[in-house]
Amino acid sequence: MIQQIVNGILLGGVYALVGVGMSMIFGIVQLTNLAHGEFVILSAYLSTVLCTNLGLHPLLTLIITVPLMFVIGMVLQNLLINRVMARGSEPALLVTFGLSIIIQNTLLLLFSADAQRMVTSFQSLSVDLGPIKLPVLQLLVFGIGLVVVLLLDLFMKKTYLGQSIRATSDDKTAATLMGVNVKHTYGIAMGLAMGTAALAGLCVGMPWTFYPTSGSQYLIIAFGVVVIGGMGSIKGTLVAGLVFGLAQVLGGTNYGMLVSYAVLLIMLIVRPQGLFSK
Amino acid sequence: MKRHQTGLLNQALLIVVIVVLAVLYLCAALGLIDSNVMRIMLSMCLYCAMGTMWNLMSGHCGLTSLGQQSFVGLAGYTLAVMTTYYSLPYGAAIIVGGILSALLALGLSLVFFRMRGMYFAVATWITAEALKTIFTSWGFVKKGAGMTVKLRPYPTTMEIFILALTLAIVATLVVHFLLKSRTGLGLSAMGNDADAASSVGVNIFKSKLVCFVLAGFFTGIAGVIFYMNKGSIFPTGGFSIEWTVSIVFIVIIGGVGTSVGPIVGSIIYVLLSEFLSKYPGWSNIILGIIAIVVIVVMPDGIVGTLQKKFHFEIMSLRRHAPE
Repeated sequence: MIQQIVNGILLGGVYALVGVGMSMIFGIVQLTNLAHGEFVILSAYLSTVLCTNLGLHPLLTLIITVPLMFVIGMVLQNLLINRVMARGSEPALLVTFGLSIIIQNTLLLLFSADAQRMVTSFQSLSVDLGPIKLPVLQLLVFGIGLVVVLLLDLFMKKTYLGQSIRATSDDKTAATLMGVNVKHTYGIAMGLAMGTAALAGLCVGMPWTFYPTSGSQYLIIAFGVVVIGGMGSIKGTLVAGLVFGLAQVLGGTNYGMLVSYAVLLIMLIVRPQGLFSK
Repeated sequence: MKRHQTGLLNQALLIVVIVVLAVLYLCAALGLIDSNVMRIMLSMCLYCAMGTMWNLMSGHCGLTSLGQQSFVGLAGYTLAVMTTYYSLPYGAAIIVGGILSALLALGLSLVFFRMRGMYFAVATWITAEALKTIFTSWGFVKKGAGMTVKLRPYPTTMEIFILALTLAIVATLVVHFLLKSRTGLGLSAMGNDADAASSVGVNIFKSKLVCFVLAGFFTGIAGVIFYMNKGSIFPTGGFSIEWTVSIVFIVIIGGVGTSVGPIVGSIIYVLLSEFLSKYPGWSNIILGIIAIVVIVVMPDGIVGTLQKKFHFEIMSLRRHAPE
């Protein structure tokens, strides 16, 4: 039981990382990015390809995937999403839906429906703490998740760019008057979100197998983090990640996803503004 | 004068449509249609019915559902269970499947209508995913192994096609007359300004409820007819997001909020996917790209763009003050 709770907590760190990008986009750009899960899985495939073809260590693939996804995010936002967002939230929602279909099917075409996994040297190592076992890999991805989420928070609060992003999300008009270029800010926010998706892709791709269709599973988790955490709250994001991690582990392989769905639906019904929103 | 002309044009169009439909029925009944053509027209009719319903929700009520597959899957399984386990006729399954889907819509609406926009969209989608998971682990419906549909006597493609054609016509007419009614007037007022509409006595909840339940009912029946033709159902297929992907594509291509958009959209979609089936794996990618291009370049869809350009409206919902 304790072991399971520990596993759930470790999983929660990764889930917070999966959700933090979605939460950012939801809060700042006011866009529900239905392709976020696919971006995570796309990154996982990118890392895998770099691993096997260039012989890079999985962690080193981040040097390529994070900037690459950042640029893709900025380009997508500037060329596509900013254009349709002027007409309301619905067309933008459907554009991201279209993107998710395109990415998923492209992955299917390129990599077939087979399960994929990144192999690491420390796959089977674990730290023994009496009754509890801490697999090094899980600890690592938990650590990455935690550090990234906290760093992002720091960035948003302490840097000029972060502050201008937050100002835009609070009041678009006032931010524009203060000289913030809103569309440019949206581009950066999307880029950052995609950067976190690249990290999340590595973190889910190392410990678990994934398929071209795994995106929807991670989208649901990301959405759960948005709903439970409320947007813009870093504490909320971490807690929401833990809730989902525990729900999944305690539900077991058969009912893990079902428990997550149920938690999410109940939250949507009871408190759609999130647990930690102001 | 102009209105008089459009009135005449509309009447002429109506007559053409009725004649075409009558000829279609007759040809189908006499067995004059090639079975492959019939199969293609069958899916056009089913997608047309589902698209019309999604258009009613998204285009007129602001309810963007990404979970239409809940109704298709539930109704499809109703057909499989009723015909295989209880040897009931398919007519009964059509009615029960439709009613169960409508009840599901009713239940969902009670809790989901409090949510706005994207929350509603995601909630409907997650419900479908949850249903898929439940049906995959439910022994009564043979888990992930799926069920076969056993009909005695098994209807011919012609009979199934006639059912589908009737469904498409009834769905289109029901939506048209609903939007012409007081409820429709309320919905259009709601679309312009929800608060103002509410303050002059439009019952927003009730109007939305009627649309959502109707959509559940007709989408469910379309599901039953689809699985009558297919002969077997699996949780991954019945509750697949693909259903919603196709429906959304159809309505966007045709034109959200236009009366004939879903008809045009479903014809294009079925022909396109028939053509693309030669290139397995590519079809969804190409459909996705087309959908995005249409949203960006032609936001009113084919029918909406044509209507704006040539100033006409087929099956217009416009109201005129009495002269």
